[in-house]
Amino acid sequence: KLNVGVDTVQHGVEGLTYLLTESSKLMISEVDFQDSVHVLGFSDELNKLLLQLYLDNRKEIRTILAELAPKLPSYHNLEWRLDVQLASRSLRQQIKPAVTIKLHLNQNEDQIAQVLQTDPSTLLHLIQQLEQALGEMKTNHCRRIVRNMK
Amino acid sequence: ILDDPDLKDIDPTVLKHCHAAAATCILEAGKQKADIAAISTCLEDCKLDKERIEQFCTEYQKNKDALEILLGSIGRSPLHITDVSWRLEYQIKSNQLHKTYQPSYLVTLNVENSDSGSHPDVSFSCTMEQLQDLVGKLKDAAKSLERATQM
Repeated sequence: KLNVGVDTVQHGVEGLTYLLTESSKLMISEVDFQDSVHVLGFSDELNKLLLQLYLDNRKEIRTILAELAPKLPSYHNLEWRLDVQLASRSLRQQIKPAVTIKLHLNQNEDQIAQVLQTDPSTLLHLIQQLEQALGEMKTNHCRRIVRNMK
Repeated sequence: ILDDPDLKDIDPTVLKHCHAAAATCILEAGKQKADIAAISTCLEDCKLDKERIEQFCTEYQKNKDALEILLGSIGRSPLHITDVSWRLEYQIKSNQLHKTYQPSYLVTLNVENSDSGSHPDVSFSCTMEQLQDLVGKLKDAAKSLERATQM
Protein backbone atom coordinates (compact mmCIF):
# COMPACT_ATOMS: atom_id res chain seq x y z
CA LYS A 1 0.00 0.00 0.00
CA LEU A 2 2.89 2.34 0.78
CA ASN A 3 4.78 1.33 -2.35
CA VAL A 4 8.11 0.98 -0.62
CA GLY A 5 10.23 -2.06 0.21
CA VAL A 6 9.75 -4.12 3.39
CA ASP A 7 13.16 -3.08 4.63
CA THR A 8 12.32 0.60 4.37
CA VAL A 9 9.13 0.10 6.38
CA GLN A 10 10.96 -1.90 9.01
CA HIS A 11 13.68 0.73 9.32
CA GLY A 12 11.06 3.40 9.50
CA VAL A 13 9.24 1.69 12.34
CA GLU A 14 12.47 0.96 14.21
CA GLY A 15 13.64 4.54 13.82
CA LEU A 16 10.34 5.90 15.06
CA THR A 17 10.33 3.52 18.01
CA TYR A 18 13.86 4.48 18.97
CA LEU A 19 13.08 8.18 18.69
CA LEU A 20 9.99 7.95 20.89
CA THR A 21 11.41 5.63 23.56
CA GLU A 22 14.63 7.58 23.97
CA SER A 23 12.76 10.88 24.18
CA SER A 24 10.27 9.50 26.70
CA LYS A 25 13.00 7.84 28.73
CA LEU A 26 14.91 11.08 29.08
CA MET A 27 11.72 13.12 29.42
CA ILE A 28 13.14 15.84 27.19
CA SER A 29 11.36 19.14 26.78
CA GLU A 30 9.48 20.21 23.64
CA VAL A 31 12.28 22.56 22.59
CA ASP A 32 14.93 19.86 22.93
CA PHE A 33 12.78 17.44 20.95
CA GLN A 34 12.25 19.91 18.16
CA ASP A 35 15.96 20.70 17.99
CA SER A 36 16.86 17.00 17.81
CA VAL A 37 14.32 16.26 15.08
CA HIS A 38 15.30 19.33 13.08
CA VAL A 39 18.76 17.79 12.57
CA LEU A 40 17.14 14.95 10.59
CA GLY A 41 16.11 17.34 7.85
CA PHE A 42 12.41 16.57 7.57
CA SER A 43 9.73 19.06 6.58
CA ASP A 44 8.26 21.40 9.20
CA GLU A 45 4.90 19.69 9.00
CA LEU A 46 6.47 16.30 9.68
CA ASN A 47 8.41 17.75 12.62
CA LYS A 48 5.18 19.09 14.11
CA LEU A 49 3.50 15.70 13.71
CA LEU A 50 6.42 13.96 15.40
CA LEU A 51 6.32 16.42 18.31
CA GLN A 52 2.60 15.84 18.75
CA LEU A 53 3.12 12.08 18.65
CA TYR A 54 5.80 12.40 21.31
CA LEU A 55 3.69 14.55 23.65
CA ASP A 56 0.61 12.39 23.27
CA ASN A 57 2.31 9.09 24.02
CA ARG A 58 5.18 9.77 26.35
CA LYS A 59 3.25 9.14 29.56
CA GLU A 60 2.17 5.71 28.41
CA ILE A 61 5.61 4.87 27.10
CA ARG A 62 7.13 5.83 30.45
CA THR A 63 4.66 3.58 32.27
CA ILE A 64 5.69 0.66 30.12
CA LEU A 65 9.40 1.41 30.51
CA ALA A 66 8.96 1.53 34.28
CA GLU A 67 7.94 -2.12 34.19
CA LEU A 68 11.35 -3.07 32.84
CA ALA A 69 13.36 -1.90 35.85
CA PRO A 70 14.66 -4.53 38.32
CA LYS A 71 11.99 -5.16 40.88
CA LEU A 72 11.31 -7.01 44.07
CA PRO A 73 7.95 -8.57 44.80
CA SER A 74 5.57 -5.76 45.59
CA TYR A 75 2.86 -5.55 48.18
CA HIS A 76 -0.67 -6.28 47.12
CA ASN A 77 -2.79 -7.06 50.17
CA LEU A 78 -2.76 -8.42 53.70
CA GLU A 79 -5.36 -10.59 55.45
CA TRP A 80 -5.17 -11.45 59.12
CA ARG A 81 -6.80 -13.77 61.63
CA LEU A 82 -6.66 -14.17 65.40
CA ASP A 83 -6.04 -17.69 66.67
CA VAL A 84 -5.71 -19.18 70.12
CA GLN A 85 -3.94 -22.50 70.46
CA LEU A 86 -5.69 -24.59 73.12
CA ALA A 87 -3.71 -27.82 73.03
CA SER A 88 -1.11 -29.71 71.08
CA ARG A 89 0.20 -33.23 70.97
CA SER A 90 2.93 -32.38 73.47
CA LEU A 91 1.00 -30.11 75.85
CA ARG A 92 -2.62 -29.95 76.90
CA GLN A 93 -4.53 -27.02 78.36
CA GLN A 94 -2.76 -24.12 76.69
CA ILE A 95 -3.84 -20.61 75.95
CA LYS A 96 -1.49 -19.38 73.26
CA PRO A 97 -2.70 -16.39 71.22
CA ALA A 98 -1.30 -15.88 67.73
CA VAL A 99 -2.01 -13.72 64.73
CA THR A 100 -2.03 -15.53 61.39
CA ILE A 101 -1.32 -13.38 58.37
CA LYS A 102 -1.73 -13.99 54.65
CA LEU A 103 0.50 -11.64 52.71
CA HIS A 104 -0.36 -11.20 49.02
CA LEU A 105 2.52 -10.12 46.82
CA ASN A 106 2.92 -9.48 43.10
CA GLN A 107 6.02 -10.78 41.42
CA ASN A 108 6.52 -10.43 37.70
CA GLU A 109 2.82 -10.71 37.03
CA ASP A 110 2.34 -13.71 39.31
CA GLN A 111 0.49 -13.37 42.56
CA ILE A 112 1.95 -15.20 45.51
CA ALA A 113 0.35 -15.54 48.90
CA GLN A 114 2.47 -16.34 51.90
CA VAL A 115 1.07 -17.50 55.24
CA LEU A 116 2.93 -16.20 58.29
CA GLN A 117 2.31 -16.00 62.00
CA THR A 118 3.31 -13.76 64.91
CA ASP A 119 2.59 -13.40 68.56
CA PRO A 120 0.87 -10.31 70.00
CA SER A 121 4.02 -8.60 71.28
CA THR A 122 5.83 -8.95 67.96
CA LEU A 123 2.75 -7.57 66.23
CA LEU A 124 2.90 -4.41 68.34
CA HIS A 125 6.62 -4.15 67.63
CA LEU A 126 5.97 -4.45 63.87
CA ILE A 127 3.35 -1.73 64.00
CA GLN A 128 5.67 0.60 65.90
CA GLN A 129 8.58 0.04 63.51
CA LEU A 130 6.49 0.53 60.37
CA GLU A 131 4.84 3.67 61.73
CA GLN A 132 8.33 5.04 62.25
CA ALA A 133 9.09 4.19 58.62
CA LEU A 134 6.02 6.10 57.45
CA GLY A 135 7.02 9.07 59.57
CA GLU A 136 10.37 9.31 57.82
CA MET A 137 8.91 10.79 54.65
CA LYS A 138 7.65 13.74 56.65
CA THR A 139 10.98 14.66 58.19
CA ASN A 140 12.84 17.76 57.07
CA HIS A 141 15.65 15.68 55.64
CA CYS A 142 13.43 13.79 53.24
CA ARG A 143 11.40 16.82 52.31
CA ARG A 144 14.56 18.73 51.44
CA ILE A 145 15.80 15.96 49.19
CA VAL A 146 12.47 15.59 47.39
CA ARG A 147 12.33 19.35 46.85
CA ASN A 148 15.86 19.65 45.53
CA MET A 149 15.80 16.67 43.24
CA LYS A 150 12.99 17.58 40.91
CA ILE B 1 24.13 -40.72 83.38
CA LEU B 2 26.18 -43.68 82.29
CA ASP B 3 29.35 -41.77 83.18
CA ASP B 4 28.27 -40.70 86.67
CA PRO B 5 30.72 -42.18 89.28
CA ASP B 6 27.98 -42.56 91.93
CA LEU B 7 25.99 -44.85 89.68
CA LYS B 8 28.97 -46.92 88.59
CA ASP B 9 27.91 -49.97 90.51
CA ILE B 10 24.49 -50.36 89.03
CA ASP B 11 23.84 -52.45 85.95
CA PRO B 12 23.68 -50.05 82.95
CA THR B 13 20.52 -51.71 81.55
CA VAL B 14 18.69 -51.12 84.81
CA LEU B 15 19.96 -47.55 84.79
CA LYS B 16 18.59 -46.99 81.31
CA HIS B 17 15.22 -48.41 82.27
CA CYS B 18 15.05 -46.16 85.31
CA HIS B 19 15.97 -43.11 83.28
CA ALA B 20 13.40 -43.91 80.60
CA ALA B 21 10.71 -44.55 83.19
CA ALA B 22 11.43 -41.31 85.05
CA ALA B 23 11.49 -39.34 81.80
CA THR B 24 8.19 -40.80 80.62
CA CYS B 25 6.56 -40.08 83.95
CA ILE B 26 7.75 -36.49 83.98
CA LEU B 27 6.73 -35.82 80.38
CA GLU B 28 3.27 -37.31 80.86
CA ALA B 29 2.76 -35.25 84.00
CA GLY B 30 3.89 -32.14 82.18
CA LYS B 31 1.73 -32.85 79.13
CA GLN B 32 -1.40 -33.34 81.21
CA LYS B 33 -0.50 -30.45 83.49
CA ALA B 34 -1.01 -32.76 86.44
CA ASP B 35 -0.97 -31.27 89.94
CA ILE B 36 1.05 -32.59 92.89
CA ALA B 37 -1.87 -34.60 94.30
CA ALA B 38 -2.35 -36.51 91.07
CA ILE B 39 1.37 -37.27 90.76
CA SER B 40 1.58 -38.43 94.38
CA THR B 41 -1.38 -40.75 93.95
CA CYS B 42 0.12 -42.19 90.82
CA LEU B 43 3.49 -42.79 92.50
CA GLU B 44 1.81 -44.32 95.54
CA ASP B 45 0.12 -46.80 93.23
CA CYS B 46 3.58 -47.70 92.00
CA LYS B 47 4.57 -48.54 95.59
CA LEU B 48 7.17 -45.78 96.09
CA ASP B 49 7.75 -44.77 99.73
CA LYS B 50 6.66 -41.38 101.06
CA GLU B 51 10.12 -39.84 101.23
CA ARG B 52 10.86 -40.61 97.60
CA ILE B 53 7.50 -39.30 96.47
CA GLU B 54 8.12 -36.03 98.32
CA GLN B 55 11.55 -35.62 96.80
CA PHE B 56 10.24 -36.28 93.32
CA CYS B 57 7.38 -33.82 93.71
CA THR B 58 9.63 -31.07 95.04
CA GLU B 59 12.02 -31.44 92.13
CA TYR B 60 9.12 -31.57 89.69
CA GLN B 61 7.59 -28.42 91.13
CA LYS B 62 10.90 -26.58 90.75
CA ASN B 63 11.17 -27.38 87.06
CA LYS B 64 7.48 -27.42 86.10
CA ASP B 65 7.42 -24.05 84.36
CA ALA B 66 10.52 -24.71 82.27
CA LEU B 67 9.03 -28.07 81.30
CA GLU B 68 5.77 -26.50 80.17
CA ILE B 69 7.57 -23.94 78.05
CA LEU B 70 9.62 -26.66 76.41
CA LEU B 71 6.59 -28.84 75.68
CA GLY B 72 4.64 -25.87 74.38
CA SER B 73 7.33 -25.01 71.87
CA ILE B 74 7.25 -28.43 70.21
CA GLY B 75 4.98 -28.61 67.21
CA ARG B 76 4.44 -27.26 63.73
CA SER B 77 3.32 -23.78 62.89
CA PRO B 78 3.48 -21.45 59.91
CA LEU B 79 6.65 -19.41 59.51
CA HIS B 80 6.95 -17.12 62.48
CA ILE B 81 7.76 -13.43 62.08
CA THR B 82 10.36 -12.28 64.56
CA ASP B 83 11.32 -8.81 63.36
CA VAL B 84 10.96 -6.30 60.57
CA SER B 85 13.50 -4.08 58.80
CA TRP B 86 12.68 -1.32 56.38
CA ARG B 87 14.47 0.96 54.00
CA LEU B 88 13.20 4.18 52.47
CA GLU B 89 14.60 5.02 49.07
CA TYR B 90 14.06 7.72 46.51
CA GLN B 91 14.34 6.54 42.94
CA ILE B 92 16.00 8.92 40.52
CA LYS B 93 16.56 6.85 37.44
CA SER B 94 17.02 3.39 35.96
CA ASN B 95 18.69 2.35 32.74
CA GLN B 96 15.26 2.13 31.14
CA LEU B 97 13.77 5.29 32.54
CA HIS B 98 15.26 8.57 33.72
CA LYS B 99 13.85 11.18 36.06
CA THR B 100 11.50 8.87 37.93
CA TYR B 101 11.54 10.70 41.32
CA GLN B 102 9.50 8.23 43.32
CA PRO B 103 9.88 7.31 46.97
CA SER B 104 9.48 3.66 47.81
CA TYR B 105 9.83 1.45 50.85
CA LEU B 106 11.64 -1.85 50.99
CA VAL B 107 10.34 -4.00 53.85
CA THR B 108 11.90 -7.23 55.05
CA LEU B 109 10.10 -9.50 57.49
CA ASN B 110 12.58 -11.61 59.41
CA VAL B 111 11.09 -15.05 59.62
CA GLU B 112 12.01 -18.08 61.67
CA ASN B 113 11.19 -21.64 60.78
CA SER B 114 10.82 -23.75 63.92
CA ASP B 115 11.50 -26.98 62.04
CA SER B 116 14.73 -26.39 60.21
CA GLY B 117 15.99 -23.27 61.95
CA SER B 118 16.39 -21.66 58.55
CA HIS B 119 15.61 -18.01 57.95
CA PRO B 120 13.62 -17.59 54.74
CA ASP B 121 13.05 -13.83 55.04
CA VAL B 122 10.21 -12.25 53.11
CA SER B 123 11.07 -9.02 51.29
CA PHE B 124 8.86 -6.78 49.27
CA SER B 125 8.64 -3.22 48.04
CA CYS B 126 5.71 -0.86 48.44
CA THR B 127 4.66 2.74 48.01
CA MET B 128 3.77 4.99 50.91
CA GLU B 129 0.05 4.39 50.35
CA GLN B 130 0.53 0.63 50.34
CA LEU B 131 2.54 0.79 53.54
CA GLN B 132 -0.22 2.85 55.14
CA ASP B 133 -2.69 0.18 54.09
CA LEU B 134 -0.49 -2.53 55.58
CA VAL B 135 -0.03 -0.71 58.88
CA GLY B 136 -3.75 0.06 59.04
CA LYS B 137 -4.60 -3.62 58.73
CA LEU B 138 -2.04 -4.61 61.37
CA LYS B 139 -3.51 -2.03 63.72
CA ASP B 140 -6.96 -3.52 63.15
CA ALA B 141 -5.58 -6.89 64.18
CA ALA B 142 -4.01 -5.39 67.30
CA LYS B 143 -7.27 -3.68 68.26
CA SER B 144 -9.11 -6.96 67.82
CA LEU B 145 -6.59 -8.64 70.10
CA GLU B 146 -7.12 -5.97 72.75
CA ARG B 147 -10.87 -6.42 72.60
CA ALA B 148 -10.51 -10.19 72.83
CA THR B 149 -8.40 -9.95 75.98
CA GLN B 150 -11.02 -7.77 77.64
CA MET B 151 -13.82 -10.24 77.15
